[in-house]
Amino acid sequence: MSNTTVKQKRTALKVAKSSKTLNVSSGVFRVNQSITKTINPSISGKSFSSASDSKVLDKSLAQTPKHTVQVFDEHGQDVTPHPLYNPDPGVLQPKQGKIFPAHDTSWTTVTDFPSVAFQTTNASFTGPFTKSFFGSVSASRTSQTTESVTDETKDLLVKPDLSSSLSDVQARREEVKEQVREDIIDRVVDSYLTETETIWLLDIPAVSVSEDSEDAEAVKERNKAYTELCKNRLGNDKYVERSMQTFNDAPKTKEVQSDSITMVDKAVMSSTWDMYDSFCNKGDASENIVVSAEGKKATVPDSSSMNHLLNPSGPDQSMSVFSTTSTVSGSSAHLEKMTCVLPVEEEPDLELILQSDKFKQDLAVMERVVLANIFQPKLAAYRQLPVIEDPDCVQTQIEEESWTEQSKNSLSPFLEHLWVFKCELTKGRNVSSMTWNKKNPDLLAVGYGQLDFKDQKPGLVCCWSLKNPTWPDRIFHCESGVTALDFSACNANQLAVGMYDGTIAIYNVQTTEQTPIIDSSDCANMHACPVWQLRWVDHDTGLAGEDKGEMLISVSGDGRISKWIHYKGLECVDLMKLKSPNMIVNNQRWNPKILSLAPGLCFDFHPNDSKVYLAGTEEGHIHKCSYSYNEQFLETYKAHTGPVYKVTWSPFCPDIFLSCSSDWTIYLWRQDLSKPVLGFTSGQKVVFDIMWSPHCATVFGAVREGKVEIWDLRVSSLDPTIVSVTNPGVNPTALLFTPETDCVLVGDSEGQVTVYKLKNLPAGDSTQVEALEDVIRTTLSSKHTLGKTDRDA
Amino acid sequence: MLDIECAGAEVEETIKRIQSQKGVQGIIIVNAEGIPIKSTLDNSSTVQYAGNVHQLLMKARGMVRDIDPQNDLTFLRVRSKKNEIMIAPDKDYFLIVIQNPTE
Repeated sequence: MSNTTVKQKRTALKVAKSSKTLNVSSGVFRVNQSITKTINPSISGKSFSSASDSKVLDKSLAQTPKHTVQVFDEHGQDVTPHPLYNPDPGVLQPKQGKIFPAHDTSWTTVTDFPSVAFQTTNASFTGPFTKSFFGSVSASRTSQTTESVTDETKDLLVKPDLSSSLSDVQARREEVKEQVREDIIDRVVDSYLTETETIWLLDIPAVSVSEDSEDAEAVKERNKAYTELCKNRLGNDKYVERSMQTFNDAPKTKEVQSDSITMVDKAVMSSTWDMYDSFCNKGDASENIVVSAEGKKATVPDSSSMNHLLNPSGPDQSMSVFSTTSTVSGSSAHLEKMTCVLPVEEEPDLELILQSDKFKQDLAVMERVVLANIFQPKLAAYRQLPVIEDPDCVQTQIEEESWTEQSKNSLSPFLEHLWVFKCELTKGRNVSSMTWNKKNPDLLAVGYGQLDFKDQKPGLVCCWSLKNPTWPDRIFHCESGVTALDFSACNANQLAVGMYDGTIAIYNVQTTEQTPIIDSSDCANMHACPVWQLRWVDHDTGLAGEDKGEMLISVSGDGRISKWIHYKGLECVDLMKLKSPNMIVNNQRWNPKILSLAPGLCFDFHPNDSKVYLAGTEEGHIHKCSYSYNEQFLETYKAHTGPVYKVTWSPFCPDIFLSCSSDWTIYLWRQDLSKPVLGFTSGQKVVFDIMWSPHCATVFGAVREGKVEIWDLRVSSLDPTIVSVTNPGVNPTALLFTPETDCVLVGDSEGQVTVYKLKNLPAGDSTQVEALEDVIRTTLSSKHTLGKTDRDA
Repeated sequence: MLDIECAGAEVEETIKRIQSQKGVQGIIIVNAEGIPIKSTLDNSSTVQYAGNVHQLLMKARGMVRDIDPQNDLTFLRVRSKKNEIMIAPDKDYFLIVIQNPTE
């Protein structure tokens, strides 16, 4: 029903005579459409169709009121919108009359249209309500006839009275709700209808006034007067048209120039270590700033911290770089943002770098690395690792053949030459003693000193490391020739050095200082003759009080075996005086009270029982002594006819010991026999040094003038198993087995220490103690049968 | 760059010793900015080595410290077909030795 009146409005529009009005109205409609199109599509669609297509309107004309309206757009599709709510016509009736009269007069003039139109367009967005009003308003129009044309045009543009519309809606809503709840319709419900406060959504003061309002008449009057005035304006003397000219000043161009804003891209790569560094350096940040502000140190705040500027073209360019950045540093020094930038210090001098400790360390490591590359196969052989050939190695044919030939083809035992410890310093010196460090098996101490009375020159102690065979790690110059060396077991850095003039010094090998920790030259009791042997002995068993711990024991040419105590200085206590009781000189009988001392040349403590030790003298006697009894020997072994240079207990058999002397012999003794069990002679050469092999009980090595011999008693007790002849003129003077591997070191009179590997020696599972004992037993039994021994074995 | 300055006899001796070892082709000492300050090779090679090693060191050090920031790079060896480059890095310098041990 409402829609039909809408149609009537359309027709009214169509009928309007003045094209201008039509245009305006259609224009207005168009404006309206743009705002209300979503809400009143029917109306807007229809409006267009009314303008363009007369068919629809004709259709609408033909239709009778009260029919439901079908809305069709220009394509003929049914776009009938569903009403947002269905107004109850009964409720609306009383309100309808209000709106219209106010607009009657306002629509008569053309000029009003735009203003009204605009106003209404502004207000017409209150969509849902407008429709109802259209509906409600139009319903009332059926009764009116004369003014229906203009009024109906106004219908669409009527501004709704919001408050009334709202209350309408509310009333309607209530009704709807009550219809729905049919299931509880029996319930007695108290419903209260109240009017809420007015919600102002938009308040545009109305320019038009309702016809029913009080000042409607006044407004009408005013409007009328105004239109009269406007009509009278033309040709009226009261109104004069005047024009004015304004000065148009010359345009002035103003330019402002500003510095271009330089854009700098900053990026920081943050890595784990960068964050860690920043965190650690945060505390030092202020420090760093002070440092960088003071000296002309160039900070480079724009570069990331770890990327130093690479400047390959030399120092000149680097200077310029620093000069530009120094200005920056001047300003940035005051900035507090130094945290993640390591201050780039002034370029440290070449001197500084070269003298820094770290550099020295690095150099040492580098040297070892380089040498490790060179000596790798030899070191691998030493350490009993498989020797792997370098895949990139282009070894010369000859070299390879000679080395492998000897090592692969030969089945007989031989000494494989590995390398030589030598350097310029040691050239020409005589190796007098060698010893391994007790803690670090790669560290070797070698003492250089002449053993003869003549040719005495200042001695030298070199600490060699296996990792660097070309230069010793430590060099200590001593005043006189070094004759004895030993590393302490308790304090592995202490090296005791015995010298030709009887001095004993203890060096600390951890430092490169040339001065020893302690020297015995202040001691009143110091040795007057060369110290031939030194040993740190650990008395840990069964001794009371002060004798526990490690002690330095020495034997020297003045016939004393002394124990040295490091208290405040070195103090010595004599353990034994090596008396020589059987000296008869020139038929004169010595007063037995005046006993001269025989120079002691060597001693050795029993490996198991540290109270018992053997001492060898220049006379050829070997004395067995006890630590706690310094008056007399326990036993004396006499067999050698020359000075006994070395006496050693067997490390495996507790009763067996070896002795060597300058009478070209090596004797194997058993401690309960006063005569040697076995004697080893090969050639008429002085035996300088012997040593039991630490791996096999039946193997020992001997060093003679011009030869190095390795004896294996399982194989033969008459001939050495391996004989290695040294260069003519060079005498091997010292022998040392390696405690862990099967190598042997030989020091010679030219200052060289050669490392040999024992190859193809018959290996055994155990230490062959039984084998040794067997040998001895057979020997003894054979001797016994031949009647040469006094006692049974 | 190639001037050999007097900088501690011991250090000099050690450098000479290394140089005289079998197969050592050159020793280069580079300062913290990547400028070679001492070298036994010719200029162009030195510069090449210094620049490239610098970058490699940064990467290697970054890698080591990324995994554990408290760790730090102490030594780097690059073995190639023809030789081996050994680098000892430090905050203020790095030391490069090129050696061909099979020469």
